[in-house]
Amino acid sequence: MSIPSNSAPQSGSSKWNRKRKLTDWAIDGFLILFGVMMVLPLLMLVANAFKTPQELVSWPPTFIPNNPTLDNLTAVLNDTPLLLWMFNSFAFATLSTIAILATSAIAGYVLGKFKYRSLNIIFLIILATAIVPFEVYMIPLYFQVQSLGMLNSLWGLLIGYLVMSFGIFLIRQNVIHSVPDELLEAARIDGAGELWIFFFIVVPLLRSALGALAVLAFFQAWTAFAWPLIVATTRESYTIEVGLALFQTGFTVDLGKLSAASAIVLIPSVTLFVLLRKNFVEGVAGTGLKE
Amino acid sequence: MASVEIKNVRKSYGSVDTIHGVSVGVSDGDFVVLVGPSGCGKSTLLRMIAGLEEITGGEILIGDRVINDVEPKHRDIAMVFQNYALYPHMTIAQNMGFSLRLARKSKDEIDQRVKDAARILGLTDYLERFPKQLSGGQRQRVAMGRAIVRNPQVFLFDEPLSNLDAKLRVQMRTELKDLHARLKTTTIYVTHDQIEAMTMADKIVVMRDGVVEQFGEPLELYDRPANRFVAGFIGSPSMNFLDGTVVVRDGKQMFESANHTVLPLPEGLDRAFEGKKLIMGFRPEHLQVSEAPEVFEVTVSVVEPTGAETYFVGNANGDTITGVLRDRIAIASGQSLRLLPRLNAIHLFDAETEQRVN
Ligand SMILES: Nc1ncnc2c1ncn2[C@@H]1O[C@H](COP(=O)(O)OP(=O)(O)OP(=O)(O)O)[C@@H](O)[C@H]1O
Ligand SMILES: [Mg+2]
Repeated sequence: MSIPSNSAPQSGSSKWNRKRKLTDWAIDGFLILFGVMMVLPLLMLVANAFKTPQELVSWPPTFIPNNPTLDNLTAVLNDTPLLLWMFNSFAFATLSTIAILATSAIAGYVLGKFKYRSLNIIFLIILATAIVPFEVYMIPLYFQVQSLGMLNSLWGLLIGYLVMSFGIFLIRQNVIHSVPDELLEAARIDGAGELWIFFFIVVPLLRSALGALAVLAFFQAWTAFAWPLIVATTRESYTIEVGLALFQTGFTVDLGKLSAASAIVLIPSVTLFVLLRKNFVEGVAGTGLKE
Repeated sequence: MASVEIKNVRKSYGSVDTIHGVSVGVSDGDFVVLVGPSGCGKSTLLRMIAGLEEITGGEILIGDRVINDVEPKHRDIAMVFQNYALYPHMTIAQNMGFSLRLARKSKDEIDQRVKDAARILGLTDYLERFPKQLSGGQRQRVAMGRAIVRNPQVFLFDEPLSNLDAKLRVQMRTELKDLHARLKTTTIYVTHDQIEAMTMADKIVVMRDGVVEQFGEPLELYDRPANRFVAGFIGSPSMNFLDGTVVVRDGKQMFESANHTVLPLPEGLDRAFEGKKLIMGFRPEHLQVSEAPEVFEVTVSVVEPTGAETYFVGNANGDTITGVLRDRIAIASGQSLRLLPRLNAIHLFDAETEQRVN
């Protein structure tokens, strides 16, 4: 964005004002453009769910369906156990989120506040595991799940998603940043036990970070693909992600039905994000805890 | 209420010793202030009393109970931190009632005691607010309220006023003193501000590098500092020091400074000091204009009138001298004054050990 340099000389402040306004517009325009680029495919997907097969393949593509139809939706719901898959995913993601929140909060707190040399080493190991892709140890883990007889079950799915290195890291940083030692010491003198301190002082102070982590953890599990693909292989134990993928190859190539299924799948994700948006933004954009 | 007995207490972090055998006896109901320069171990000592740091060696008794291995919550103490350490997610009432809630007191009793403390501290209107909705001074009061409601044996304060502005600090100083006069709870108070120490304390502990340099009443420390460090630390502006030797002129003991200023000495100094190197100390406020033959010829370089008093800095034979004159003498930079310290306010310290000798 450039400012016309040949404009007549004006008083300094109004020139500066105009310059700032132009910059603001430029930033707004830029952000809007990107926002549209991000949202357009999703809107298109939702629109497609209501189109007839003919309209879906017509060129140029239409944005608002000409004769909207619910056929796709009903067909998807009748032909496949879509709701069951969604339930599987939902249960998997929820339990995984709870487990990750619990493990991250405890480990992050201990690593952030307790000063033993061995803890530094543990923290380094955790950081190290964070850079090893899940796919690397997915197969050994698979055999463990198999030997435990947990294939095709929710518990088998969960085993790969109980702990999240990044979550431990995130909470540790937040603990260091927003839980002052004096607060814990004051509580100890006030007579609080360590569990009390954790639940009634530390956890409330970490709520925005935990909120952010909850969103991350939930979507990590919700969108997981490789692990559910190998662990849950019966039609009833599919997660929605696996179910949708098999749509294209196994059941049908119907673009309308795929769009309809995907649109349904979007609903919980969007709902959760809207509910937790505030936490998410605060927790990720540096903890908002100044006090 | 209880006494606190600190017996030869030591503290090491790994191989680094930070407190080297401190012994202090705090009587029941006393207000004792720990002062000393930054890093001398005041907080560490206080935190050992609170139970937040382990005691490496020695013993601490509260009342007649050795508390070395007692958990903080069972020591029956309350501590106020420099940055207040209020629980940000609790209201003022919840903050103040937290310890009572943990002690499983009934709701009515908690309410009553919180209300009482709030009334004493003027916080009644703020009970439902959160800490971040209060000013610094109010937060400080909440922190004190949290300590008061428990009615503990001992109050511990770690520089509680250092985050406040100068005016509020003076006001809170008075309030704290007043509070102590009413509650009479044994108090140990850490500060590095010697004026705070002088004005608030029943007794002062002056610390340096993990040892106690002197323990006594404020005026005792001011009138008879045990060593050069305490002499320089207590009092503002600081004491003047001159290096020199004791010489005998016409049968009288005199002090000859390294720059050959000769000054009279109080009588009765041990003859063993004649010819020995000493440090002479005298406070700026004890300088007087004099017509005697042996005096400081001070050439004034800086004058700071405050209205009530006149501060000045000058040079006498190469020694820098700070002075305070009560009378409103019209002095100007460049002027020369004939000054003498009051004889009974001269402090002499051994040049090597820096211990008091007179
Ligand atoms: N956790 C620790 N590990 C190692 N050394 C420490 C630790 N805590 C304090 N020290 C050292 O102990 C000494 C005393 O510290 P302390 O905090 O008691 O000083 P202080 O007198 O309170 O100073 P200030 O007026 O700056 O608060 C310092 O030299 C400090 O470096
Ligand atoms: Mg300190």
